[in-house]
Amino acid sequence: MRRKGKIPAFTETMDLKEYIELVFNDYTLRTITLGTAILGAVTGMLGSFAVLRKQSLLGDAISHAALPGIAIAFLITGSKDSNTLLVGALISGLIGTFWIRGIIAKTHLKSDTALGLILSLFFGFGMLLLTFIQKQPNANQAGLDKYLFGQAATLVESDVWLMAIITGLCLFVLLFFWKEFKLFLFDTDYAKTLGFNTNFIDILITSFIVLAIVLGLQTVGVVLMSAMLLAPAAAARQWTNSLSKMVVLAAVFGAFSGVLGTAISASQNNLSTGPVIVIIASVFVIFSFIFSPSRGLLFRQIRFIANRRDLELQKTLAFMYHIAETHEDISHPHTIKILNNFQGYTRKTLQKLVDKNYVTLDGTMWSLTEKGFETAANLYNQQAIKDE
Amino acid sequence: MNSAQIEIQLIASLVAIACAIPGTFLVLRKMAMISDAISHSILPGLVIGFFITQDLNSPLLILLAALTGIITVVLVERIQKTGLVKEDTAIGLVFPALFSIGVILIAKNANDIHLDVDAVLLGELAFAPFDRLIIAGADIGPKSLWVIGTILAITIGLLIAFFKELKISTFDAGLAASLGFSPALIHYGLMTMASITTVGAFDAVGAILVVALMIAPAASAYLLTTDLKKMLGLAIAFGVFSAISGYWLAHWLDASIAGSITTMLGILFLIIYLFAPNKGLIAVMYREKQQRTEVSLLTFLLHLKNHSEERERHVNHLQEHINWQKVRAKTVLDLALKNNMILINNKIVSLTQKGDEFTSKAIDYIITNEDAQIEDMKDDFFLFRG
Repeated sequence: MRRKGKIPAFTETMDLKEYIELVFNDYTLRTITLGTAILGAVTGMLGSFAVLRKQSLLGDAISHAALPGIAIAFLITGSKDSNTLLVGALISGLIGTFWIRGIIAKTHLKSDTALGLILSLFFGFGMLLLTFIQKQPNANQAGLDKYLFGQAATLVESDVWLMAIITGLCLFVLLFFWKEFKLFLFDTDYAKTLGFNTNFIDILITSFIVLAIVLGLQTVGVVLMSAMLLAPAAAARQWTNSLSKMVVLAAVFGAFSGVLGTAISASQNNLSTGPVIVIIASVFVIFSFIFSPSRGLLFRQIRFIANRRDLELQKTLAFMYHIAETHEDISHPHTIKILNNFQGYTRKTLQKLVDKNYVTLDGTMWSLTEKGFETAANLYNQQAIKDE
Repeated sequence: MNSAQIEIQLIASLVAIACAIPGTFLVLRKMAMISDAISHSILPGLVIGFFITQDLNSPLLILLAALTGIITVVLVERIQKTGLVKEDTAIGLVFPALFSIGVILIAKNANDIHLDVDAVLLGELAFAPFDRLIIAGADIGPKSLWVIGTILAITIGLLIAFFKELKISTFDAGLAASLGFSPALIHYGLMTMASITTVGAFDAVGAILVVALMIAPAASAYLLTTDLKKMLGLAIAFGVFSAISGYWLAHWLDASIAGSITTMLGILFLIIYLFAPNKGLIAVMYREKQQRTEVSLLTFLLHLKNHSEERERHVNHLQEHINWQKVRAKTVLDLALKNNMILINNKIVSLTQKGDEFTSKAIDYIITNEDAQIEDMKDDFFLFRG
């Protein structure tokens, strides 16, 4: 049942169609693709909560804190069965998480210090145990260090089933407590006054985050697991302001990172899956940062420039208005030269004013139209009305 | 103890001191997680540096890797400035991506590069004495000892030279800026030192232990003192103690030295976390319990003052009226009796002269919210001390 070893080495010339056929036919590749996709989906989903609660780095701390649990589970049971080890990881991850909360609540140490402390201390202790295990003469300890960087190639069908079941459970709880989660996320105090047990909701969310991280240790590893939690959620955040959309989007981004990462690492030699998935997820983030329509840097810059142009147009119009004001006939022509002293003016803006029918041009002379005069007169009033 | 053992302990101690100094400031400036990010993201810098220099101890490689550390800090700040994500998310996005690039670079060039990711993360202190620095044919000690020694000397020099600036900018950035120190310069100076220390130390102790050595001694010291100089001294002492005791733990268990040093740091922190005199968990919980009792006492005395009828002041009635559990009610009654605040006559509780005055004062205290007016009153109330 347990098929070990590397993903079959594919040639780089292999095309997409062949690869997709392979995904469906090859046991190892199918298992890994499914596994990373499910993992990406569940971490993306829960990661949204971590990101919105400003607990982004908690994932990093938890994944490191899980390491001693793996070693201790192995020392106690002597079994390398991934489920046993994951229970150990879960317990030590939870201990780490609650210790972090304890440090923040009971001492004056800040959250960053608490996170860094637990992260490095638990990880160091885990390494002590791992090296200790390696030196034991009788133990067949090989394979524990796959949890450091993860080895997707060691996934078997039962692992994927476990992931699927936990994802299902997580989805169920999410839907069941959706209203509570949402309320808790955005207005904890209000949730408390409504009589919800916020402590319970808090512990529930945190426990699920720990669970998702522990699930990913075998595939992505302790060191990179935090990115799986953060990156899809951070990318999804850029596209929407609605929690439900964000959770769904994050799950989709996560799943795609998993599938694409597996595909790329499978089609090249010497590429471990974990880092590739993280890079793909980071690419999603960069893409979202730049190209998201409402928050993205590109469109923000475009909007910024458009606003500036608009403002300059209005400035020119206002300047013209003040000149026209002094004349009895508002459409009295003036030379364009007058405008040269004025910085907001360019040939283009002038043309735009003509297009909008605010100004008429006649050779080197311009004159304000009735419409232009009206608009300019109300320019500041409108602003004042808008501000109110 | 043979000479290799002494050298290992010496290297470990120097690393501990070199980490504790920037670590103290990182903890105080709430930037502890930056050290974690730096320690991971120097990996691509190391790999590229290794391609160029082919020598893990070359100063150029250390500078290149430290540069990656600074790039990380700048990237985090840039992303944070866009306002698209919060600072902690920015940190969490940058370093795994850079670390992944490093891992992939190593994997793709596994044949040309003798750099093991495990070794980068964990280091191998046990091998440090075998890589000797030989100048003009004479063996003058392990290379890592010289590398970390130089870094430590620079760190100490900078610390002494800029102690005042560091101190002011850490505790009052606004004051520092108005006095004419550039906060950005000090910030990036500190980040540069943290990066260089991380790179210089990773070879000996690994990236994760660098984080532990930076944060844990400083955090432990912070629980014991609020004086910057004392905190620095304590952090250095804790670091060195853990380095040496950790070495012997590793010797005894035949396990990773880096892991053992971290474990010793963890045990040290746990002890201080629990037992620190004022800020330890036990002290805090004791104080909180004390305060709860004292607040209860005050509530109780106010109740007595408000009710002159005997029915309300009967011992049994008090229990149900104020809705305390028996144990707590007894603690409060005992405390009040001990302080001569109340008299119990025939199961009827009444305030004494002293209790009455105390309660009146307490009401004043509660009603007056202005600090200045109650300043002289504060000493009278054991309730509000500390």
